[in-house]
Amino acid sequence: MPANQLEKRLQIAGTLLIAGLLIEALCMLWKSPLAFIFFVAIGGLLLGVGVAVYLVSLVSSAKNPG
Amino acid sequence: MAPATAFIVGLTIFTAVLIGVLVARPGITATRGGKILAFAALFFLPLFCGAMGVSSKMAQSETTEFCLSCHTMADYGKSLYIDDPNHLPAAHFQNHRVPPQEACYTCHADYALFGTLKVKLGGLRHVYVYYLGTPPAPQDIKLYEPFNNRECLHCHLGARSFEEGVVHTADPATLPAIKANKLSCMSSGCHEVVHDIAHLKDAKFWKEPN
Repeated sequence: MPANQLEKRLQIAGTLLIAGLLIEALCMLWKSPLAFIFFVAIGGLLLGVGVAVYLVSLVSSAKNPG
Repeated sequence: MAPATAFIVGLTIFTAVLIGVLVARPGITATRGGKILAFAALFFLPLFCGAMGVSSKMAQSETTEFCLSCHTMADYGKSLYIDDPNHLPAAHFQNHRVPPQEACYTCHADYALFGTLKVKLGGLRHVYVYYLGTPPAPQDIKLYEPFNNRECLHCHLGARSFEEGVVHTADPATLPAIKANKLSCMSSGCHEVVHDIAHLKDAKFWKEPN
């Protein structure tokens, strides 16, 4: 995989993770029952997708080096 | 803010900043050190922060404050302050027979295998009904199933006051029936006064000392 394509995927993964982490940080400060739902449903989803994109990019780069 | 919450929020923001550096300069992942940094920032730290956050939120969802944050539960919260030793939840709450900061959860948890999961799913349903459905009036709220003695026996089983109580031992059949959940602890004539919110306006309240 070309380096810039790998970097692009890492940027996508990073952006998703930043969004997820910021939502989780906000939910940690909010004590409403809704905060728990947002924390798991939105924050957790963004983190999960972000980590998955990162792992896929690693596997793809290992399969297609250079 | 609790120190544990502050730590989790701090670590979460630190992780987000670290990822921000990687997003701004993805080229640093070309080096060995950069790859290790990327693994920590894009895999390990987000999962670690998420796991700590879930654990913290789960603990928070067991607090009395959390349960009473829904307006519908306000009267149930007030009933914990009724100044009457025969009022079961109030007597437990005021005398710290249950941890006051987790009073609701201690009695309304399901102490069976997967009980925590069951009550958390019930809680999700409550949130759904509260925000998207029609919440029932406080006096119309009913338990999903009759209160199981198991929840009382979780603490009282083996206690002298329970095992040797005058009423409990008056009839040899009573204790086995209670332990088998065939005779409810809340049967008429026993500990029947539970969250009597219908008579709140006539009740005398205990004032918690500061």
